[in-house]
Amino acid sequence: MEDLHTDGNHVAGMLGEFLAADATTTRRRCQSCGAEHPLAAHRAYRGAGVVLRCPGCGDVAIRIAECGDELVLEWRGAYRTRRV
Amino acid sequence: MRPISRGFQRRREPDADAGRLPPGQYLTRDFPVLTAGPTPHTPTEDWSLEVGGAVDAPRSWTWDEFSALPMETFTVDIHCVTKWTKLDTTWTGVSLDLLLDGIETSGEHVTAWSDGGYTTNVPLEDVSDGKAWVVHQFGGEPLEPEHGGPARLLVPHLYFWKSAKWVRGLTLTDDDEPGFWESVGYHNYGDPWREQRYWGD
Amino acid sequence: MSARPALRWRTATVRGVTAESARTRTLMLDVPDWHGHRAGQHVDIRLTAEGGYQAQRSYSIASAPEHDALELTVELVDDGEVSPYLVDELRSGDQFELRGPIGGHFSWSVEDRGPLLLLAGGSGIVPLMSMLRHRAARAADVPARVLVSVRGPEERIYGAELDALEPRAGLRVEWTYTRSTPPGWGGWARRVDAEMLAQLGPGPDANPLAFVCGPTSFVEHVANLLVDGGHDPEAIHAERFGPTGG
Repeated sequence: MEDLHTDGNHVAGMLGEFLAADATTTRRRCQSCGAEHPLAAHRAYRGAGVVLRCPGCGDVAIRIAECGDELVLEWRGAYRTRRV
Repeated sequence: MRPISRGFQRRREPDADAGRLPPGQYLTRDFPVLTAGPTPHTPTEDWSLEVGGAVDAPRSWTWDEFSALPMETFTVDIHCVTKWTKLDTTWTGVSLDLLLDGIETSGEHVTAWSDGGYTTNVPLEDVSDGKAWVVHQFGGEPLEPEHGGPARLLVPHLYFWKSAKWVRGLTLTDDDEPGFWESVGYHNYGDPWREQRYWGD
Repeated sequence: MSARPALRWRTATVRGVTAESARTRTLMLDVPDWHGHRAGQHVDIRLTAEGGYQAQRSYSIASAPEHDALELTVELVDDGEVSPYLVDELRSGDQFELRGPIGGHFSWSVEDRGPLLLLAGGSGIVPLMSMLRHRAARAADVPARVLVSVRGPEERIYGAELDALEPRAGLRVEWTYTRSTPPGWGGWARRVDAEMLAQLGPGPDANPLAFVCGPTSFVEHVANLLVDGGHDPEAIHAERFGPTGG
């Protein structure tokens, strides 16, 4: 069966509208399973909006709604990025 | 000033009765699959449908019990907030009027919840009087998992994110509780004819 | 990594279009103030029609960072909305908006060393080709094993260039065909499996950097094979393109 998801690489441009950091290398510690993974490795699903899920446990990490000219974002878990 | 890409145009649409398309929608002959997460695969022997919350007596059905309920087959148009509309979709399922028949409740709101954790909220009056069903067949065939099988909610007069795939329960509530998409930017009610896509529309 | 300029939309102008195959085109673009990229990164593009309708897609950069024009390779998707325009309609002088480069996670530079294990499904070869072109431009001898899975010979792109690159020290390129093979083909003709990866190498003891790219089902399948074969999951970089076009 086809897997319908992509990954954090695919939504990195949109996340870049919020972040100065590289969204793909930003690491997230999941508050459900405790594992840490780069956002690039998170599974991206497209419903009404976009959902990024922890590759370990499937917990929701980020939700994005593209509302016309605006983006709405919700983040869960702890995010880590390297300062440049 | 945004550059125009010479010669680029929206994908060609088949002719349609213009009155059947809500504002901002385009027609599709496909059935796009949109999802907030991986497709659950709940075997029917493990499936149940529950009605609970602000009710005097919760009720539930196993798959066999659900399958034995009176079914309706009906045809409706469906409208997705991502702008596609699919006309003349045929479904078979149980009316929510039957599932909620005689229920004693103080609640005016319903939260539908699904395998995989998805939720959506609808006013009780919007799933009453022939406006909503729990369906298990599409086009006369068992509903495929990627389209919400074994069963999904169907509320065709609202944007299709309200028609929760993989539905397992309806919780009646006194207070309106925004669901998965409603809590992150999508309109709380979602009427396609008033183009209620997002917060503030 | 050096400081990143903020991602913003710029106007790209098409310098030229070349055919890689019947269904694939390489777009050569001029982008003002382009700051360069790392091999493997992608861009978002946005098309605006007369009347304001917009569509947005992501495409991997095919060119090496050392190349003077930015190149994207686009495959036609049946019933697509954007790819038919880019493949069949677009010509020199046309413009669209472009944002990038995006994605440091799926990128490689010779300084990252190797050995490299590059695994592509269909158009997933594009970002890996950027890596190989970069490797060649820097005359690096980082060992690289490449496997490209395509449905048939009509999907094979960059063939002549890869043939010319291959004899260079440390590079080996293999193809596998899953539906139809070229005439006289004696090589692999099946879906990627553990035996194929074992024959290609390198194994986990060499600690390769693995980059897997293509349709989601291909990436999931191959990444699982690598992990099952003992490769370190942290050393596997994946980029999923979504479902196949059909």
